[in-house]
Parts: sequence; structure tokens; C-alpha cells
Amino acid sequence: MIPSWLDLLDDTMRVCAQHDRADLMRRLRERRDHLLDRKVRILVVGEPGQGKSQLINALVNAPVCAVGDDLTTRVPAVIEHSETPTASIILGPDDAGRLAIEASAPERIGVPVESATAQANREAAGPRGDILRAQIGLPRELLATGLVLIDTPAEAPDAILADAVVLASDATCELTAAEIALLGRITRLCPTVLVALTKIDLAPDWRQIAERNRTHLAKSGVPAAVVPVSATLRLIAARTGDRDLNAESGFGELVHRLRHDWLEQAELLSRRSVAALAGITVEQLSTPLHKEFAATQQTDAGEAVAKWHAAGKRLEALQITSTRWQTLLNDEVADLMADLEFDLRDRTRRIIREVDEYFDAADPARTWEEFEDWLLEQLTAVAETNFGWQLERFEWIAAKVARQIAPGRPDVLREALSPDTPLEHVDGLRKPTVEKFGISQKLFIGMRGSYGGLLMFGLATSLAGLPLINPISLGAGAAFGAKSVFEERGHRLKRRQAAGKTAAQRHVDDFFLSYGKESRDTARLLHRALRDRFSGFSQRERAEISESAKAIKQVIDDDVTRRTKRAHEIKNAITELGVLRQRVRALAPIPRGLIA
Amino acid sequence: MNLAETAWAALNQALEVYQDNPRATHWLHRHLARFSEPLRLAIVGAEGTGKSTLLNAIVGEQVELGVRATAEYRASATVSATVYPTGAPPRELPMARVDRRLQLDAGGIEVSPADRVVVNWPSRSLRDLVLIDTPAGQIPDADAVLHLMPRPQNADLQPLRTLYDNPVAGATPINTLVVLSRADEIGAGRVDALISARQIARRHRREPELRELCQDVVPVAGLLASAGRTLEEPEFEALAALATIPKADLDSHLLSVDRFAHKESPLPGSAALRRQLVQRFGLFGVRLAVMLIRQGSDTVPTLAAQLVQRSGFGELRDAIGQCFTDRTPVFKARSALIALEVLLRMEPHPGTVGLAASIDRALAGAHDFRELRLLASLRTGKVTLPEDLAAEALRLVGGEGTDPAARLGVEDEPSTSDVQYLLADIFPRWRGQAENPALGAEERRAAKVVVRSCEALAQV
Repeated sequence: MIPSWLDLLDDTMRVCAQHDRADLMRRLRERRDHLLDRKVRILVVGEPGQGKSQLINALVNAPVCAVGDDLTTRVPAVIEHSETPTASIILGPDDAGRLAIEASAPERIGVPVESATAQANREAAGPRGDILRAQIGLPRELLATGLVLIDTPAEAPDAILADAVVLASDATCELTAAEIALLGRITRLCPTVLVALTKIDLAPDWRQIAERNRTHLAKSGVPAAVVPVSATLRLIAARTGDRDLNAESGFGELVHRLRHDWLEQAELLSRRSVAALAGITVEQLSTPLHKEFAATQQTDAGEAVAKWHAAGKRLEALQITSTRWQTLLNDEVADLMADLEFDLRDRTRRIIREVDEYFDAADPARTWEEFEDWLLEQLTAVAETNFGWQLERFEWIAAKVARQIAPGRPDVLREALSPDTPLEHVDGLRKPTVEKFGISQKLFIGMRGSYGGLLMFGLATSLAGLPLINPISLGAGAAFGAKSVFEERGHRLKRRQAAGKTAAQRHVDDFFLSYGKESRDTARLLHRALRDRFSGFSQRERAEISESAKAIKQVIDDDVTRRTKRAHEIKNAITELGVLRQRVRALAPIPRGLIA
Repeated sequence: MNLAETAWAALNQALEVYQDNPRATHWLHRHLARFSEPLRLAIVGAEGTGKSTLLNAIVGEQVELGVRATAEYRASATVSATVYPTGAPPRELPMARVDRRLQLDAGGIEVSPADRVVVNWPSRSLRDLVLIDTPAGQIPDADAVLHLMPRPQNADLQPLRTLYDNPVAGATPINTLVVLSRADEIGAGRVDALISARQIARRHRREPELRELCQDVVPVAGLLASAGRTLEEPEFEALAALATIPKADLDSHLLSVDRFAHKESPLPGSAALRRQLVQRFGLFGVRLAVMLIRQGSDTVPTLAAQLVQRSGFGELRDAIGQCFTDRTPVFKARSALIALEVLLRMEPHPGTVGLAASIDRALAGAHDFRELRLLASLRTGKVTLPEDLAAEALRLVGGEGTDPAARLGVEDEPSTSDVQYLLADIFPRWRGQAENPALGAEERRAAKVVVRSCEALAQV
């Protein structure tokens, strides 16, 4: 029949596997192997110098464990039954973390029985740190029944691998707080414990000490009996065959307890041990689960949600900035256009005024080439200045808007604006048509003028009896002719000047019209370019933020889902562990009286 | 001005600075009074480490008080005991010296571990010591400390470290001796137990962690020492009677305490007396005493002397002498500096700047502290000089007595010219060692300390 504890142990192991706890698994499996081999492992523990090794020597009546005034056990010694005395030192791989499949099989070194532990201790203290244990076989009746004694190093005895534990504590002192704490730890892993009060041959007050130890143990709730023993007496008794001395040594009772309370009740020990082990494993499994469950229950608003809110806020802020910069850009550009137009008009007017003044005096017929050059130069200067100013103002606007859109990032949006300079509108000044005032015309005009004079004076002088054509009338004719020519010349100059002015004015007007149009176009272009650039930037920004907000939201949602799912899983696992714990309780109804 | 004078001057200077502060003046007056007292030696250790037993051994009489309180034992012509409860006026306790034993009548007075009981007791051993029995867990208020450890393995060194919590004390870790107080138990009660205890002590005093904390590790079989120091006629007679029984017969009765003190045992003497013997001597002590009587130590004084010698108590007394009482002024000065440091820290005062500086100067300049530290290093093997040099260094820095004769290794008090003559040889040798490249840094430093000691000798 499969014992009930084996069932429980297997179930516990299965649960461990489910929870990915290979560490617990390994120990349980090791323990399972031990439990199934029907031997009773007894761990002898205690602080250094309390006579652990001597206790074992006295139990098996052989000096198998090295004892000395200043010797401490460094390597566990396992003493079990064999037909003939044998001893070996077991070496293991020094890297405990390696997988079992990689680890080479433990190496054994055969050694003489008497010096096995001494040699193991010596070597373990020296360069060989990889000694696992010393294994000793002895032909003893006590051991033949399946008892295995394990002498442990003082620090950190591995009580989980034992069926029962004997704590050696010497009779010169009461149990110390450290020893009681050690017992407390051990009983959680291995509930079958006994305190051997050693060296009672030396301590006059061992009875009181034993009594006080019992009180201490009862007070701290450790269900351990106190058995006073003297290894010295037992060894002498064995040597001399003195039965009385053997009885005095107290080993009779110890052996009796080992045999009747422990060995013959191996099944009970196994049950108890499995119950404790399973209980502790369940505890170890459920503590982190409970913690995790508590963690899942917390509505952990946390960082993600805060980030999400921050992203939303940033989007809102971006929206506001966006309207704001657009208004700003429009206003600025409108201002600029008005300013530009005014500037252009002002400059061209000034040119026209200068032209007027110039042509008040100058004769376009003579100075037209010179004038043309000057006008071209002036208009080019106007176009350049105006255009340069426009560019400058746009740069400035761009910087201003950029500051608003992306404060603190002066490098963003720092591309230069580079439209072409529209200078072609300055060409093509037409020369006004200027009438030629040639010799024939002069002659004709002179003749026409002189005709009146000649006639007038000829008639007058004819009264005086002079012929119509006489020197006087000829002279008057010449004078009148000359005056007419002179006057005609003056008229012509006036006309030319007016034509020159008109031509220049028209040209400047043309320039104003076409350059103004061009300038406005450029302004609009630049305006659009800026708007596109800025809106592109803020769109990108918005896209980024909303993308990350979406991602965060996703994370939060996932987290909530995962949490809920995990909480559910944990709940199930905890319920399962609860069932296991109930089975543990059923297996070991804590028979305190039986142990003590 | 030597260290003690410096410390004395500093205490007086502090008294002037703090004259308007009653708490501080009270504290300073207490420490000024202590300056002229004998060395205050505290015995500390965990429960059951044999503090009282060792106390009896040092006093040489059974003076154990039997109450859990800090007990101070002072030499006096008359016997008296006064309890100083915290927050209550001191009270005289009725007590008497009966049959070389202390009998105290606590008379219903509740004495707590924090209270102080001062016992005046006429004893030659208390001439140059005030012994303080400190309950476990209490920090001793003393110049020097005997720290008791039952066994050296896995010993808890924390209580030892707390002794040096004060910065001044931490800078001068020179006032502790570690005593392996239950050396007889280490060897499971064998007659040669003490030899193996000595070996263990030798090994453990070389442990780096321990040797930084103490001057030396000394094993003592406490029971044996106290029994030897307080051996009485009836006990001797009982032991002598046991020694007459043939060895083979007796040995079977000496196997265990139970057998030895059994009511129906055929051994001479009453069971109660045998029980008392085993309580006082331990089974190991009884075995050893019987063996010694058989070997011829058959009078009370010879047996007592043998027991004391075998207990290792002599070494302990020598160590106390060499490490502590020979240099009482140094320890007094150290305690005064610690007290001043505490005062300056707890009661800051603008006028103490000069004082703090003089404490620092005293600490940095004190050759005595360095000598003591070097002694510890030589004993515990932290400094390893060639054997003859090590012996000479130990002698010159006062390891065998602090007077010039002991330091120079001559019989009589040397005259100035003798000192000059002897130093003419020693001086250059140690100067050379101080710069010897073959030695380690630690050793060269040690040689410098020796040179400094020689200079001090030359100035006497």
C-alpha cells in the first residue's frame, strides 16, 4: 500500500513544479529518496566543543569521528551499517549550481576507518574545498536496523535531510539562546528532536541543568526530550565491559529512544517529517503568492497612468499653442504686408519727386542715357532694400513663432528662408519720343516768325515811302524770326521734359505695380511656407504624443488584464495550497505528547 | 610633561571652563578622584563564564557577593559594603567576614544589575587594584578589562568591540586581556587539559580579528586557580585521605561526578564534603590535586602553590602586572582623556577648543600607548622580529617591567653612566633596524617605537 505521506509528498512536489521552484523540488526529491530507502537518518548537531563527535563515537563504540580539544568538524560524517568496517571520502563537484546531468558522479576515495574524518577535516580546511562528506560503514547491531548517524559541522546543519535530530549540549552550561533558536529552526523542518546533555561526568550540577533545560524547552515550545549522557563513561564501559558504568553513562536511555521511539516508528517519523516538510514548502510557496496577490489587488495608479495623463495634458497644451501661433503668424504677416507696401510706395514716390526735380532743369534729349542708368540704379536699390527687409522680417517672425511653438528648443525650425530676389521688374525703361528740332524746322519756324515782322515793318515803312522790303523790315523780320525760333526751342524743351517725366513716372508706376505684386506674392509664399512648416512640426509633435499616449494606455490596459488574470491564477493556487495544507494537518495532528 | 601630567592638567583646565555647570563639575571631580585610586580592573564576560570564580582567585579569598549588581572590591582595613542604588541614597549593607568568607545580608533590599555595590575588604591582592565584577551585558566603568571567554571557537567578539566604541578608546585599544576562563573544560577534564588549553590560546591569540582587540590571550583554569588560592585545611585533609587510596581503586570513583559524590561510595569523608570538593575544584581539580599529593605536594601551601601554578593563574597575574598595573598612570590618563572626550561631546562649550586640541595632541604624541600596542603586537605575533631581537624589544618597551633595570635587563638600579654605557650598544642596533630594508613596514615601525623607548631611558 502506498503510504499516505508519499502521496502528499508527491503532490507537494507537483505543486512545486507548477510554481517553477526547482530549488524546493530538488530538496523534496532528495528527501523522497531518503524516505523510501527505509533508513532513519539522525543528524547530530550542536555548537562547537559540545561533544557531538564524541557522542557518535560513544553510540557506535568506536572512535570513528575525530575528536580533539581544538578540533571542529568541518565535513559531515555519515555513519551507517556495513558488514565490514569501511570508510571513504566523497568528493563532489565544487560548483553546486551545475545541473545534475552535467555533474560527474561523486568521486570516492577509500581511507582507513580510524582516520577518515580527521583526514576529511584536514583536507577540507586545506586546498580541497570540494569534499562533500566522509562515509563510514561499521558492523554494528544498532546501525544494522537502518539507523544512519550524521555528524555535522557546527554551522548551518541541513536539518531538512534528517528524519530526526539530536542536539548535543554540554552539561556545564544551560542551553543558550542560540541553541534554543537553532532547535526552533530545526523543529520546523524536522519535528523529531532530542537534546543530549553531554559530559555529565564532569558537571556536578547536571541534574539541575537538565531540569532547567527542560523548562527552557517547554517555555520556548520545542517538543524535545533531554537525555543526559556521558560519552567518556560509555567508552570506558565498553572497553572494560562494565554494565553499571554503561547504565551510568545514560546511553542506555539514548539508545532505547533511538531504537523504540524512532527506529521502530519510522513510519510515524516519515509522516511527521513529510508533514513538516510539506507544511514548510506550502508556506514557502504561499508567502510570495500572498504578497503578489496583495500587490495585484492594489490599484496601482502608478507611473503609467500618470504618464498617460501627462500626455493628454500635453496634447491639450499643444492645441492651444497651435491656435495661438497661427493667429500670431497671420497678424505678423498682415502687418508686414502693410509695412512693405507703405515702404515701397514711399520709396517710389521719393524717386518720382527726384525725377521731377531733375527734369525741371535737365533736357531728357541730352541726358536720357545718364538718367536711365540712375533710375535703374534707384529702383534696384529700392527692390533690394525692400526685399531684404521683407526677408529679415520673415526670419524674425519665424523665430518668434518658433519660440512660441517649441520654447526652449531654439534649434528646431531653424531653416533659412530663401526665395529669389525679384529684380527683373526693373528693366525696360522706354525712352520717350523726342521731336527733332532740325535746321529745316528751325528755318521754317524762323521764316514763319520773320514773315509777320517783315510784313508789319514793311507796311509801316511803306507809308514812309519805303518799299515793302527794305532794310528795316528785313531787320525786323530777322529779329522776329529769331525770336520765334528761340521761343519754339523753349517750348520744345518743356515738352520734352514733360514727356521725360511722364515716361519716368509711368515706368516707376509699372515697377511699383509689378514689383509690389511680386513682393506680395513672395510674402504670401513665405507665409504659406512658414505655416506649412510650423503646422507640420506641431502635427508631428501631436502625432508623437498621441502615439505614446496610446501606447501607454495599451500598457495600462494590458497590465490590468494581466493583473486580473494573475490574481485569478494566484487565487486558484492559494486554494490549492490550502487544500494541501489541510492534508498536511490531517497527516500530522501534532502529537506533542508522543515526542516529548 | 608626561601623559599622566598632561591628562591631570587637562582635567583641571576643564574644571575651570565648566565651573558654572554642576553636572560637568561633578563628573570631573569624580574622575579627578579616580586619578589617585589604584587601577580599576573590570572582569566581564557572558553568563556562566566564571567571573566570580576568577574574582575569588584574584582576591585570594571567597568574596563572591551573590547578588546581580556591579560590585567593586577595594582594599580597606575594615569590612563593609555599601549599595548605591540608582536614584536613591546609598545604604550600608550589613556584612561580615566569617571564616575567610564574605557573608552579606541583603536584608530585603532589591538590588538591580544597574546598581553599584562597593565592598571594602582587607586583602593584600587588592593593594594595587580595584576589582569590578560586572554582570553580563553591562559596560564596565573601568581603566582596564579582563574579558572572559569560555572557549575561543566561534566566540562572540561583539562585547569586546563595544569596549572601544568611544573614539579615544578606539584609538588606544590597549586595555583588554582575553582570558580563556574555563581552560580545564577544553580538555574534557583530563589532567593535561591545561597544556592543550595553552596551545589553543597560542593559536587564537594569532587570529587577526582577536589580536586587534586585546593585549594577549591567557588561558586559566578558573576553578583550579580559585581552589588553589583559597585552599582550606579540611579540603586538603579530604584530598590527602583520597590520595591514600590505591590509584586503581580511586580512578573508578573519579570517573564521574556522580560516582565521586555518591552517598554510598566507600570513599572517606562525607558525601556532602565530597560534593563540596567537586563544586570547588571540579572533577579535573580533584584528579589533579590527588595526583599532586601523591607526587609529594603534601602540605597545604605546597599543594596550593602547585594548583595555582597548574591553573595558569600565575601567567594571568603576570600579564595583569605587565599589561596593566605596572602602567597604572597611563591607564589613569587614558580614562581621564576618555572622560574628557565624553564631556566635550555631551556638554559643548565654547571654551573647550584648546582642550580638544590638547586631547588630540596627547593621543597622537603618547609614546606609552604605542609601547603598549607594540607589546600586544609582539605577543600576538602581529610583528615578527628575529627571536633574539623580539625578546630584546619586548624587554626594552617594558614587557618585563617598566623600570630602567627591567628594561635594560640588569639586576640593580643602573646609574646614569651605566644606562649610557648599555644604550651605547643598543641604540645603534635599533636605529639600524628601524631602517632595515629586510624587515616589513610593521617591523620597522616597531623598531622605531623601541628607539623611542631607548631615548626615554636615556633621558631618565
